[in-house]
Amino acid sequence: MSIENRGKKEVAARVKALESMMIEKGLLTTDMVDRFVEIYENEVGPQLGAKVVAKAWMDPEFKARLLEDATAACRELEIGGMQGEDMVVLEVTDEVHHAVVCTLCSCYPWPVLGTPPNWYKEPQYRSRMVREPRKVLADEFSFPIPDTTEIRVWDSSSEIRYWVLPQRPGGTDGWTEDQLAELVTRDSMIGVGPTKAAS
Amino acid sequence: MTAGFGSPSTTLEQRDEVESLISDLGFHPEELVFDEPWELRAFALAVAAHTSGRYAWPEFQQALASSIKAWEDSVEDLADPSWSYFEHWVNALQQVLEHAGQVDSGTLHSRTQVVLDAPANRNHHEPHYEPVAVDPALTNRTGARA
Repeated sequence: MSIENRGKKEVAARVKALESMMIEKGLLTTDMVDRFVEIYENEVGPQLGAKVVAKAWMDPEFKARLLEDATAACRELEIGGMQGEDMVVLEVTDEVHHAVVCTLCSCYPWPVLGTPPNWYKEPQYRSRMVREPRKVLADEFSFPIPDTTEIRVWDSSSEIRYWVLPQRPGGTDGWTEDQLAELVTRDSMIGVGPTKAAS
Repeated sequence: MTAGFGSPSTTLEQRDEVESLISDLGFHPEELVFDEPWELRAFALAVAAHTSGRYAWPEFQQALASSIKAWEDSVEDLADPSWSYFEHWVNALQQVLEHAGQVDSGTLHSRTQVVLDAPANRNHHEPHYEPVAVDPALTNRTGARA
């Protein structure tokens, strides 16, 4: 690990330590901090994952490498970092839909997706997504999966972090990679939401 | 995100408030870029502590500027790879809290070590190679899904 990386780990740890001390002293609550995180959480990360997805849609050889070894393929695009060491990308097809959960905590491929949304960390999502994924996707995410499609739910841990390669939306022939990347949503890479439609 | 999960608690006023704080630091809100989760966390901590009255924003501004200045004076070249805007942000937060007597550096240091020594997600440290749940497709069965 480089010196810069060690330094970053120290600062990241100091942030955690500061937060825990401030909360213990009653200076703040986690909720208060989360509210400010929420304002910006969509602006961290998912655009990187979107870039990877768009490239995979454009370039079948890249897609093959991505499905074979997501970490290495992302490194080609200079995307990576802590918590992205072992990423596995799951390809959605007409037959099989994939969705990701972390059953114990909030393991998440943040180099490509940014910080996990709050609901990803909540116990309801973590447990119900395993018990009744079809219902959770339909009811909670308004994202019904056809009955003719199997749903597989994958448990991200700190050793393997899963994320999802959604299907390329129709009506996008001849689009550039940048245009395609605009259609990729964070939720589509967790497997709990659609990509945007071509307009 | 929609119904059920999540806590829709961010208001437009809150966003305006944050943006005016950012503007006070001399940059446009849209220039605010986070590369890593801890950066966003640190950002939110400082803003939350300020809005709940733990310190005045100019105090934080000054501490931030002096941490940045100290770094600039310590490197030969401003393109030095050790640059991290949010590292100075964390230094500044630490400094104002110490100054207000709310955090002491000894405890902070030892607690930081504890975090560093704990393996990340120590409860969830092994790979899971198979799906944790499968909801089969209807067509794969003769009857309805169980």
